[in-house]
Amino acid sequence: MVDLSVRIGDLTLKNPITLASGTCGFGRELASYVDFANIGGICSKGLTLLPREGNPGCRVAETPSGMLNSVGLQNPGIQAFLEDELPFMQTLGTSIIANVAGHSTDDYIEMVTRLGGDEVEIDAIELNLSCPNVKEGCMTIGASEKAIFDLVSILRKRTKKPLWVKLTPNVTSISQMALAAESAGADSVVLINTLLGMAIDIKTRRPILRNNTGGLSGPAIKPIALRMISECYQVISIPIIGVGGIMTASDVVEYMLAGATAVEVGTASLLHPGICEKLVDDLKTYAEANAISDIKDLTGELKLWE
Amino acid sequence: MEKEYSISLLSKKTLAKENVMMTFQCQEIAKRAMPGQFVNISCDHFLKRPFGICEVDSINGTFSIGVRVVGDGTREITLAEIGDVFDVLGPLGNGFSFEGVKKIIAVGGGTGIYPLYFVLAYAKRLGIPVTCINGFRSREDAFLTEECKKLATRALFSTDSGDYGIKGNVMDALAQLSEDELSEATVFVVGPEIMMKKVSVWAMERSLSCKVSQERKMACGIGICLVCICKVKARDESAEFHHVRCCKEGPVMDAKEVIW
Repeated sequence: MVDLSVRIGDLTLKNPITLASGTCGFGRELASYVDFANIGGICSKGLTLLPREGNPGCRVAETPSGMLNSVGLQNPGIQAFLEDELPFMQTLGTSIIANVAGHSTDDYIEMVTRLGGDEVEIDAIELNLSCPNVKEGCMTIGASEKAIFDLVSILRKRTKKPLWVKLTPNVTSISQMALAAESAGADSVVLINTLLGMAIDIKTRRPILRNNTGGLSGPAIKPIALRMISECYQVISIPIIGVGGIMTASDVVEYMLAGATAVEVGTASLLHPGICEKLVDDLKTYAEANAISDIKDLTGELKLWE
Repeated sequence: MEKEYSISLLSKKTLAKENVMMTFQCQEIAKRAMPGQFVNISCDHFLKRPFGICEVDSINGTFSIGVRVVGDGTREITLAEIGDVFDVLGPLGNGFSFEGVKKIIAVGGGTGIYPLYFVLAYAKRLGIPVTCINGFRSREDAFLTEECKKLATRALFSTDSGDYGIKGNVMDALAQLSEDELSEATVFVVGPEIMMKKVSVWAMERSLSCKVSQERKMACGIGICLVCICKVKARDESAEFHHVRCCKEGPVMDAKEVIW
């Protein structure tokens, strides 16, 4: 028997495979492809205080081994989440993580206050300080150590629920950002959100995305995420959740070796909606084949060259 | 439960310049597909490609799509060999509803003709008369014309060049329909956006119900990534408009909801 469970602070996930925000909605569509009871958790679509229609199209561009998106946080808002989506998510039999994205400190405070009480049945709040597709908040906060520290410190006082801080890779020193989140009281850092990128149509001489730029995801960003996780693992003590281009169980193992306790699967679900369940099965098979009785033993086992 | 199918290419047939009809074996998709729905099919590129379902044979468990080469992904798909295996999701999206439909004017252009061909076959089975109007650039680009003639009550074709059918576009062909043909008809239109817009305005001026099938670049095809949005009119005064998913709320939508 392999123990696949992992702990992120006080929260135990039944296995390290969770679904990344923005690539699974609120679970409704994927519920016909995936038995959520078999996966570690689901991160909601990025929530804002008020409903958002998001950016105009075109919102997608295919790139080598990946894709750019510029959705811009289209979501029904926190009220509709609490009334309509959360009750559905509670039927899925998996851990629920609400991803929140504010335009301002006040937005984050209000959302975390509304989601962070004992009566709200969510298992963690993921602070999106990293969406590259909106003009205010998010990535502008996540790109400053001071802003991360100040915001997370305020929010820490508002809730006892685990706070995961999803960081942007679009910074000079990711470990400084992770340290800022940790010292402000975050329970975990989630590395990484998408990388800001551009795709160009040579016929029209215009960016393919109507927003000009978008967030790059998929296997193309995996080496960057691994490097950032390895870097952060050496300086922080809180658990790291790895994200970026995970397609196979061996990718999950790489992430864990680099220092991740759990992972979020994103773009892969857009290609193969049932993939997260397969990753759980394959990870178990890998552990059995390699005489690993507890998957937690993999975290941080990477031996860097001297 | 839904699943991703691993299915093989059964046959392919070139219909016109850069237009290939490809037939796959998949009982589950063939059994459930409705006209206007699509499948999302893998290629050697990162994302799958969406195609309207063109024909189904539920007895033999096959379905066909029409592929027009518009880029590298579609070119690769048309170059596939018989027996090649694809990852496929489907049938996806909201198709055409036939409930309460007494007769249909089906207006197609470009790849829009493929899903409308399925409409023709389906309507014939239901005994709903269809006037079929398809527009092409020229005779060289025309396809499925004989097949449409067999299925439709009446079939009209237009070409920009005038070397086949009516000279002009589908609007010129629509102008030839009699009052009797228009009366109580529902208009189904699939084609380039400018064509769908013009036909929907034409239909609304005549108080005819009009359904359009939108086309967008997609990623997942199942409603989770929100990249394929279409702009539609607001449900109430709290918003100016809404973005709905082409793959989920669409691709078939009521023309009066669409903001072009």
